[in-house]
Amino acid sequence: MFVHYLDLAWRSFKRTPLVSVLMVIAIAIGIGITMTSLSVYHMMAMDPIPHKSDKLHAVQLKAMDDGEEWWTEDNIPTQITYKDAMFLNDVDLPFRKTASTRTGFTVHMNSSDVKPFLESARVTSSEFFPMFDLPFLYGGAWTEQQYQSASPVVVISQSINEKLFGGENSVGKQVYLDDQVFQIVGVIKEWDIHTKYYDLNNGAFNSTENLFIPLSLIEANELATWGNTNGWKFEEINTFQERLNSELLWMQFWVELNNAQDKQAFGDYLNNYLSEQATLGRFERESPKFALRDVNEWMAYNNVVSEDNRLLVGLSFLFLTVCLVNILALLLAKFLRRAPEIGVRRALGASKSQVFAQHLVEVSMLGFFGGIVGIGIAQLGLWGVRSTYSYFSALATMDISMLLAAPSIAIVSCLIAGAIPAWLVCKTQPAIYLKTQ
Amino acid sequence: MLSMKNISKVYQTEKVRTHALRDFDLQVNEGEFIAVTGPSGSGKTTFLNIAGMLEGYSSGEYLLDDVNVGQLSDNQRADLRNQKIGFIFQGFNLIPDLNLYENVEVPLRYRGIKSAERKRRIEECLEKVGLGSRAKHLPQQLSGGQQQRVAIARALAGQPRFLLADEPTGNLDSLMARQVMELLEEINRDGATIVMVTHDPELARRAPRNIQVVDGQLADFTLYQSREKDILTPNPQLNPSSNPAEA
Repeated sequence: MFVHYLDLAWRSFKRTPLVSVLMVIAIAIGIGITMTSLSVYHMMAMDPIPHKSDKLHAVQLKAMDDGEEWWTEDNIPTQITYKDAMFLNDVDLPFRKTASTRTGFTVHMNSSDVKPFLESARVTSSEFFPMFDLPFLYGGAWTEQQYQSASPVVVISQSINEKLFGGENSVGKQVYLDDQVFQIVGVIKEWDIHTKYYDLNNGAFNSTENLFIPLSLIEANELATWGNTNGWKFEEINTFQERLNSELLWMQFWVELNNAQDKQAFGDYLNNYLSEQATLGRFERESPKFALRDVNEWMAYNNVVSEDNRLLVGLSFLFLTVCLVNILALLLAKFLRRAPEIGVRRALGASKSQVFAQHLVEVSMLGFFGGIVGIGIAQLGLWGVRSTYSYFSALATMDISMLLAAPSIAIVSCLIAGAIPAWLVCKTQPAIYLKTQ
Repeated sequence: MLSMKNISKVYQTEKVRTHALRDFDLQVNEGEFIAVTGPSGSGKTTFLNIAGMLEGYSSGEYLLDDVNVGQLSDNQRADLRNQKIGFIFQGFNLIPDLNLYENVEVPLRYRGIKSAERKRRIEECLEKVGLGSRAKHLPQQLSGGQQQRVAIARALAGQPRFLLADEPTGNLDSLMARQVMELLEEINRDGATIVMVTHDPELARRAPRNIQVVDGQLADFTLYQSREKDILTPNPQLNPSSNPAEA
């Protein structure tokens, strides 16, 4: 019967092409606007590493005096000091963990072949790659020995490799970062994440870095940070070493905890570490305070998806509702004009539920067409969003789930709008129309 | 086959209460061909609508093949209507977007009959009404008489035991009307029970049994034993003023 209803729906579409096209356009505009805002929202809110987002935890320490306030909701800073980061990075614990920060260089080949360009870099440990699932195209991360000796080695991204070496295996080759020669030890494949969740302090939707160098180079090369630096007390800082020993907060720290026992064990370790630091006089604190948040908690804590985005999605659905009200009126007029035919069908044995089903299939078909055209309009809308600011280049796109959601939302919306007209027409008293037709 | 006892139908508006049928009693046996006559507004069509379960009734009891229609849900009534009743309307009531084949197919689809069986029945019924070669035509491409024959084919396709015809020749010229009537008589001979509302005394005379509806009641009930009689015979008990000798 469903195929027959589809056939009837298509005939009905062709019988009143103008009204049908008008309805499809109305749905398409509503869906186009809704899917534009919903797609951006979806990409912002999407779990960036779903298979292990519950295992990766951002580490926050309140290595501060009692009474000192911070602007976060739980009063704990989002970054940690260099000395805490390095200690926790180097200490032997049975968990993957990585400290990192953002810096940057002028990249060149010391020749006129490649125009020098500025590029941000992530200074981190070799654990960063397996923890955040960065796949290697060539080579791998630096060795422990290279880390310990602060060797000038670098892992570059596929796009940089393409730019500098035409995409060939560049492992073992050299590149200049500022004035220093670095040896390439690995090339990572394109890292496609929409939210830079591992460092939300420096723009949640900024591009990921294209250069990765060992953490030990911070001290060895006195690297400047390209990220945010915060502090909670006045300190006289005149040298780089004083900066490293200070209470300034500019490092990010992540740990991979596979279960509740790991989380408990690492939490106990942090508790003891902070108590020890307080005992050593770094800060005056009665009870240690820290936080371990998994990826999704971390994104929510940092308000990656702002209230404005939610409001925009709400408004777009409101617009869709306005479109649906118009469609409802058009459907009502179209269906009630058909009452005499329904009277005949009822007389010939159609039940109310069969008539209702027939009309719901028809509105679903309109919704499907509207959804398909709506995807086109949404693509235009997303193109418009992307062209306003490069920030949106990775966000203003439709993934497969949104592509499937568009016709689904359109069909469900039309079913909601069409249910009343379909119900009214299925309640048609056949006797009224059979004599007067 | 059909049994109506004390059936009443009241249309109620804010100020007016209209009795379309009152205490209507009728027994129709299997294989009968009944003509229902009466003045306009007397309740003939209301009776036919109630008989076809297209309309409910206010009180009384209606049994169709011993099934109490008043106790059925809408879906059950639709099923019963689909399986046992065929309709022929004065205005043909063909669906204009569907060709003849598809029009005849409508009741069969609602009955859930398989495609091959549908095809067999449709072709057989269209052949029976002499329109087998026009299956792909649209209704508006046919004359009134042809359209009514399609409507009859549609009514027959479901192989109903009970055929309700509301002025089936009302929109046809006399030649076409005769052809349609002959078709109905043939269908009756094949075993279907037919109840036909008509204003045409000539057609009514051809039916073996006549009933007359006046003011929503069964006013006259005469069983014609023979087709030789060529005018309606009033019942002297119900109409004492009439003169049987004139018959």
